[in-house]
Amino acid sequence: MVRFWEQRAKRGIVTEHPEWEEEMAALRKELKKGIHKHFAGSLAIRMVDSGSCNACEAECNALSNPYYALERLGIHFVASPRHADVMLLSGVMTFNMLPHVLDAWEQIPEPKWCIILGDCPLLEAPFTQTYAIKGPAAAHLPIHHHIPGCPPTPEEIIEGLLAFLKTLG
Amino acid sequence: MTSSRLIARYAIEHADHFEVITRYADTTETLHLPKKAPILSSLAAEHPAAIWFERKMQDDFGLRLEGAWDTRPLVQQEYFPSNTHPLLASFDATQSLTPIAAHPYPYETVDGDGVFEVPVGPIHAGIIEPGHFQFSQAGERILHLEVRHFYKHRGIEKMLEGTNPLHAWPIVERISGTESLAYQIAWRDILLQATRTELPESLRCYHALLLEMERIVHHLTDLGFIPNDAGFGTALAIASRLAEDARRQLKRLTGHRFGFGAVRQDIPAAYDPQQLLAWVKQLEQELQTFSDWILDVPSLWDRFDTTGILSHDDARTYDAVGVVARASGLPLDRRDTPWYRELGWECITETGGDVAARFHVRLREMAQSLTLVRHLAEQVVPIDTEKWGTIKDGRYEAFVESPLGELYLTADLKEGKVKRFFVRDPSFVNWQVLHRMMPGNIIADFPLINKSCDLSYAGNDL
Repeated sequence: MVRFWEQRAKRGIVTEHPEWEEEMAALRKELKKGIHKHFAGSLAIRMVDSGSCNACEAECNALSNPYYALERLGIHFVASPRHADVMLLSGVMTFNMLPHVLDAWEQIPEPKWCIILGDCPLLEAPFTQTYAIKGPAAAHLPIHHHIPGCPPTPEEIIEGLLAFLKTLG
Repeated sequence: MTSSRLIARYAIEHADHFEVITRYADTTETLHLPKKAPILSSLAAEHPAAIWFERKMQDDFGLRLEGAWDTRPLVQQEYFPSNTHPLLASFDATQSLTPIAAHPYPYETVDGDGVFEVPVGPIHAGIIEPGHFQFSQAGERILHLEVRHFYKHRGIEKMLEGTNPLHAWPIVERISGTESLAYQIAWRDILLQATRTELPESLRCYHALLLEMERIVHHLTDLGFIPNDAGFGTALAIASRLAEDARRQLKRLTGHRFGFGAVRQDIPAAYDPQQLLAWVKQLEQELQTFSDWILDVPSLWDRFDTTGILSHDDARTYDAVGVVARASGLPLDRRDTPWYRELGWECITETGGDVAARFHVRLREMAQSLTLVRHLAEQVVPIDTEKWGTIKDGRYEAFVESPLGELYLTADLKEGKVKRFFVRDPSFVNWQVLHRMMPGNIIADFPLINKSCDLSYAGNDL
């Protein structure tokens, strides 16, 4: 255990990795401003997977690693749609998920926004249309913003959230 | 006397009959069912995990099950039109189905005074794929769990029918994003057989290296998330940093953080083993520190030890695979070949069958994967690869040890097109054994037990 703390002290804070420091600082400044204006300090996101390959989810999980540390920007993922400002939707919108996605959307209190994540919700990922797919998401929900990529990288997701906040002006 | 391990059971439609193929570890059995009365005898009494394969055939083709204790729909949920069998040739793949008035799904329940149900899902609290868990509870104790999936069913099998196998890559790569390289290697093996092509050794080493990189990312992620589900967030902070480093290495190698597209492309001309080896060395040291530290946290092991035990017998009866099987003492690993043994690979097993055992297996496999990467990295030399030859019709199959376990992929190719595509993700069998780990555990430990198995929903649901 002592060795652990030695190592820990030696390593310092990896979040300030030189590779990311400058960019994140600029992002942080802009994001914080946007968040204060519209969400009184924080942005709560309910992530919903409507039939993805799980890569978008893996990248959203990566947002919490010490390199990206999303929560320091006041953005966090919440467990219930009732705590959320934003639904972040990934996947092709399967026949089986559609009613549950709409249910989750209904549970988010106003004002609310839907951001689609990755190429799937636009049906621009390589999957072709089948009986089991009810996408694109826009056929069922008002879409406010899109973060493209297959999957978008954690950096692109954060930049996408920033761009979304800018649209609220 | 039980027959050998059941790997998969699936159907193929022909003009006048259905062919049902039952793939065991050492043999394949074929049945022909007349279309007028397609009645299939269930194997579930002997192989409980056969039931999902059979219920799937019932949904997909309209086969009728005989001697099955469970004939509920599997893939087709509450709103799915009745008498609709999407894998029949007469069913138009792209047609849009109209939801019907919901017909409720009767969950497996336990009766008794004070017994209550806890439905969880399909949307979960964290950033996780959707699926439903129905618990029967006596207070905090779990009496029974039913796992209900297929919310993410995209119709992958039907989607690939009629495509040119060489054009199927982008879809196969995205069936299960966190096992993408395993799926790609399985598809590579199908194409190699179909085109009678030999794989150059350098390319074999490169793909094997990528597969280990995928396993490293996967296991590192789990080494953080499993303790996190026991309330030990520090481990997640450390392991998620290491996992991010590994993912960046994968991007450096393939140009993509998940390696999408990597197997169909050549080895990058700029391939440089030195940088990779430096990272391996650093990770080996960090892993040692991580391991020394986490093995010495008694309050954490108090949560891991004896939690969610899967007995050796249950693992075998349910035909479990992968980390789940190995942690219960079953030495099952598709890398068990002379080629891998020469690289220093050995099957890693534990006997406890609990969360602790599954954590130990991952920890030890991580170290082994790093050794494999070190050995493979030097053997990769960028080479010019030939184009695929002509596709020969036939039935081909491939096995790959994905980070989750044994992946089985098979394809019937006819007139240069995919006639039938079938894949059994390791999760498809392991999900069916999950409920055997529950009785006697408290519901608060479910996320921990589930995470210790880390199964795929996308690969399972197709």
